[in-house]
Amino acid sequence: MSALSSGSASVRRVRAGRRTGVGVTRPGIVWAVPATVFFLLFALLPLVLVAVLSFTSWDGVGSPAFNGLDNWTKLLHDPVMTQSIWLTLVLTAAGVLVQTPVSILLGVWAAGHQRNRAVLSAVFFVPLLLSATAISVVWRAVLDPNFGVPSQLPWLFGDGNLMGSRSGAIAVLTFVGMWQWTPMHALLYQGGARAIPQVLYQAAAIDGAGKVRQFLHITLPQLRNTMITSVILMLVGGLTTFDTVLILTQGGPGTDTTNSAYYMYQQAFKSFDFGSGSAIALVLVVVATLISLAVVRLSGYDRMRSTSEGL
Amino acid sequence: MKRRTFAVALGLSLATVGVTACGSGSSAGGGSDTIHVLVYGDASNKVEKQIVETFNKTSKVKVVLDTIPGADYQSKLNTIINTPQAPDVFFNWGGGSIQPYVKADLLLPLDDMIAADPQLKSNFLPSVFNTAVIDGKAYGIPMRGTQPVLLFDNKKVLADAGLSAPKTWDELLNAVQVLKGKGVTPFALGGGDQWPTLMWYEYVFDRVAGPELFQKALSGDKAAWESPESKKALGMLKQLVDAGAFGSNYDSVKFTDGGSPALLAKGKAAFELMGSWAYATQQDANPDFAKNDLGYSSFPSVAGGKGDPADLVGNTNNFYSVLKKTKHPKEVAEFLKLMYSDEFVNAQLAIGNLPTTTGTEQFLTSADDPAYSEFQYDLVKAAPSFQLSWDQAYPPAATVPIHTAVQQFFNGKLDVDGFIKAMQALPAS
Repeated sequence: MSALSSGSASVRRVRAGRRTGVGVTRPGIVWAVPATVFFLLFALLPLVLVAVLSFTSWDGVGSPAFNGLDNWTKLLHDPVMTQSIWLTLVLTAAGVLVQTPVSILLGVWAAGHQRNRAVLSAVFFVPLLLSATAISVVWRAVLDPNFGVPSQLPWLFGDGNLMGSRSGAIAVLTFVGMWQWTPMHALLYQGGARAIPQVLYQAAAIDGAGKVRQFLHITLPQLRNTMITSVILMLVGGLTTFDTVLILTQGGPGTDTTNSAYYMYQQAFKSFDFGSGSAIALVLVVVATLISLAVVRLSGYDRMRSTSEGL
Repeated sequence: MKRRTFAVALGLSLATVGVTACGSGSSAGGGSDTIHVLVYGDASNKVEKQIVETFNKTSKVKVVLDTIPGADYQSKLNTIINTPQAPDVFFNWGGGSIQPYVKADLLLPLDDMIAADPQLKSNFLPSVFNTAVIDGKAYGIPMRGTQPVLLFDNKKVLADAGLSAPKTWDELLNAVQVLKGKGVTPFALGGGDQWPTLMWYEYVFDRVAGPELFQKALSGDKAAWESPESKKALGMLKQLVDAGAFGSNYDSVKFTDGGSPALLAKGKAAFELMGSWAYATQQDANPDFAKNDLGYSSFPSVAGGKGDPADLVGNTNNFYSVLKKTKHPKEVAEFLKLMYSDEFVNAQLAIGNLPTTTGTEQFLTSADDPAYSEFQYDLVKAAPSFQLSWDQAYPPAATVPIHTAVQQFFNGKLDVDGFIKAMQALPAS
């Protein structure tokens, strides 16, 4: 009787223990409530409202009036929209192509043991601390055609009409973007490079591989996951570039640097056409999501393969 | 434990929802004994604060002055004007800038106030007052100062080249050739801002075709843009650009960051076509130049043109408009009367603004720079027509297309037909 009762007690204790164990390793769904509510309120709800607005005509005064697919058909036939999408893709691609090699080299270098490395790294990372507005204002002054650098180097810049010509303005936006964002991506690569096991380099050195071969055959492949993270950040950042365009070129000359994010702002807050602005915003959301998903899929990032496999 | 957490989480989320809901509630809107006056936030607020103080000394209903930093003014006003947070009285540019609000039936026509106190109209220069008249009804009382666009010059550069300020279009073209020969850019232009380029169109169109052409176009007559006068004006602008009057990198230069004013002050350019605020800008950035070498004149005449050479373009003035929902129309009328008071005129002149009351003249000698204020005042008073900037005469939806077309025609991306098409596609008022 007593043995039986103590037995059932121990069973109960075990069960209770197991239940507690489950509770500890897998938090209840309740813990997700605050975050979920915030997400619903501040991300999903606005997105739904924007989607609704895209089927209305609204100048911000009075109440929105439904106008069916008007904004969308207008957008389809709007040459500026087509051009802005192209420009967004061009700026994004240029950003990735220019920033990736520079930040890999800088990051890998910063992960090494050279003399003065710490001091120089700190200097290189300064742009990371500045706001995009400050950066744009500074570069606008530096690139002033009459009083800035171009006026001193006419053999390089000609009449200095950088921000007044299509190719010049695109080049300036790409360059300032690189100056602004390379430090952040270099920081990512620095972390990635530091995590590469030294054993690999030692083995390669024994096999007679030089610095360049070590870089190409060990560092680069080992940085694969970092690269995917960095490229996704660049893609999303590139698609939504706005502040530099607003301050450096205002989408000009003409509409030559009006990218989709700036066009959205222009439609909504300068022309007070919130319907069209919302439609452009939705297009941006969809394009950015698709591109991010594609990169994740194509790179195999979703399978979470480790770069250190086989060690 | 779990239950308590759940309760806390639920409480938190409810609180969040509650806070959000309150934000759009009708708790705001001010007490019943105040009038909210919303103004563009900048240096001129000094005067507005003073006037509000004066008003509050004698009034039971108090005025509260709200300022919004400049660049965001129009978008923020647009966001709140149809909410309980809307002000009773607000600053604007007249013309198209208030048209959407008139259409939405938000604004109070001021005709009854004017009937009760005719001085609310008769004490202001007519060319200015009419800018805020829409469909025959007055919707604004002038405040702050007038800002005509003038042709500024660098006296020293002109003297070196043996030139004087051009009085005719031919003299202007001649000045371009002479100055280019000297290696000086004839006209500084902040093309990167786009609106300085627009000023050239406004004057050349006015001189060639007279103010009627633009008024026709503004009221929806698309044929106005393809009239012979319109094409002639565009041809003249093209000729000027092609002659190198603005150099080749004007679209990389801005007025707002001090680029084009520096060109003029440092003698790299001889002229700049700019609003009257250019004077204050130079005084601030290049005080010596402003004092000794800054000259000014009105825009030259065009031989055979229909426009009167005394016509002006620019910002006629700023205005106070009143919302229909105000609970204190009587007190608002009392407040608006201060806009033609001696105290107001003196305070504006002291900070370099030129008010447009008929009584301004007798106070000009006490202005910051009497000669400049008198010059401006005489121009505005004598002007048969004062054309509000195109981008403010049209409703806000037209601003971006106007600026884009203007810049593209100057830099050769649009030809005459392309420009005409772009202007014909503008949303009519």
